[in-house]
Amino acid sequence: MPDGGPAAGVRIERLGEAGLLVVLGDRIDAALNDEVHRLAAAVRTRRLASPGIGAPVPGYASVLVPFDPLAIGEDDVREVIQAALADRGESSPAEPRPSVTIPVRYGGADGPDLAEVAARLGRTEADVVRLHAGTVYRVFVVGFVPGFPYLGTLPEELVLPRRATPRTRVPAGSVAIAGRQTGIYPAATPGGWHLIGRTDVELWNPRREPPALLAPGATVRFEAA
Amino acid sequence: MLEVVDPGALATIQDGGRAGYGHLGVPASGAADAFGLAVANLLAGVSPGAPALELTLGGAELLAVETCAVALGGADLGAELDDGRPLLADAVHHLRPGARVRFRGAAHGLRAYVALAGGIAAASELGSASTYGPGRLGFGGGRPLRAGDRLVPGRRGDLGAVGHTWPSILAPHPASAGGPLGIVPGPDLEAVPPGTLAALAAFAWTVEPASDRMGIRLAGPALEPGSEIVSHPLLPGAVQLPPGGRPIVALVDGPTIGGYPVIGVVPRADLPRLGQLRPGDAVRFAAETAERARVRWQDQQALLARARAWLRQDAVWHRLADHAGG
Repeated sequence: MPDGGPAAGVRIERLGEAGLLVVLGDRIDAALNDEVHRLAAAVRTRRLASPGIGAPVPGYASVLVPFDPLAIGEDDVREVIQAALADRGESSPAEPRPSVTIPVRYGGADGPDLAEVAARLGRTEADVVRLHAGTVYRVFVVGFVPGFPYLGTLPEELVLPRRATPRTRVPAGSVAIAGRQTGIYPAATPGGWHLIGRTDVELWNPRREPPALLAPGATVRFEAA
Repeated sequence: MLEVVDPGALATIQDGGRAGYGHLGVPASGAADAFGLAVANLLAGVSPGAPALELTLGGAELLAVETCAVALGGADLGAELDDGRPLLADAVHHLRPGARVRFRGAAHGLRAYVALAGGIAAASELGSASTYGPGRLGFGGGRPLRAGDRLVPGRRGDLGAVGHTWPSILAPHPASAGGPLGIVPGPDLEAVPPGTLAALAAFAWTVEPASDRMGIRLAGPALEPGSEIVSHPLLPGAVQLPPGGRPIVALVDGPTIGGYPVIGVVPRADLPRLGQLRPGDAVRFAAETAERARVRWQDQQALLARARAWLRQDAVWHRLADHAGG
């Protein structure tokens, strides 16, 4: 992949008439994701002077800038984005990167897909657990539902596509894998990832400050309980 | 004060929504039909995005614990008093203590809004009183309303709005228009086969039973699926194309981020129509420009403002008439 720097390939796409999606790249990559969060921070600062621009939402490789099209024109939003893209180069002081360890009960009723995952990968369950718990992950994004951390990067040896049919209900605290990602379901929701374990750690509590346990950039380790 | 005797299929408190917390994974939530919410609230004399009761399909029953004025907006779910007298939709009704209101259900639309004159007292969390279960946000820690729950007005005994009706000719509900839903193309058209948007617009889709406040699943001919994309943020109205080739339209409680290609977004002016789609309804789409979508949204907001001014004037006439009569 040519290394032209993320600024080279920036695209601004419409997400409806009330949102612009700033796409910095098309891969899951820690350096690119750092750029994403710096851009989101720059937009957050600049929007204070531009009423009509909503709070930016960072993804893996893109930032959504929502706006009220009756309060600000799309061209003006694009200008603010361009200015924020210029800002983000000015290296903000390195933010503290908290490190969190999540105890997990792997397999059995807590990880109903562990046996199948191991079989499909041609490994033992213990192998899968060792690989999953032996990797240090980074929080790339918090999203899908409140407090859900998208963690990467899962070791190559554990990569599987999502389940063919998503479950209609995944229990809260489920630790799951899909593609190059692992994550933790903060609440009982539908879900299409493979469930390999479960934790009692509370990822989301709206009456706690901050409500989400994990923020982008944080480091996460799993530990077999 | 109103007590829930039976919540029906689903009853929750919803307001104008919870903006600004997408980075934590918190969706906008709020009324699935913001126009219907505004109708109920403006009739009740409170701000258009104030908290109100969102009822789904039929089966709900409410009891007036004390005298109150209730305004009905959104779908006409066949409200009637226990003596069988119908309560018109888009109007304000006086309920005496002990009066029971049943929602029989109706042929069209999915969600009704019940606002109280004086507003509904509801605690705000992360800037909104809207109920959102997975985030444990809103009334009772984010749970749906159940029998015995009580809705308390912000101010008591405010009956000034009784008898008001919504000026439907000035500001008709968007669902009364018919025709295809708009869709503003993008942002992932490169991740789907060429012609996908045209194919989406060519078919009449059917709303699947497995649709809810998170999203509307559409049944119809399977479109050729696209490739997986790097997950990116979503907004309500986003039309996603999963591998099965049947589109899913994100609604107000939808995921804040998704990994299926988004072929377009249903604009704000049409979100109230999405919120009123029920299983089995037919849906068509027609591509439109962002500028056209913006103009339609502006027009819709202008209609609400005109209706609001008309209601204020109507209130003055009511008061003058009362004065003259008394």
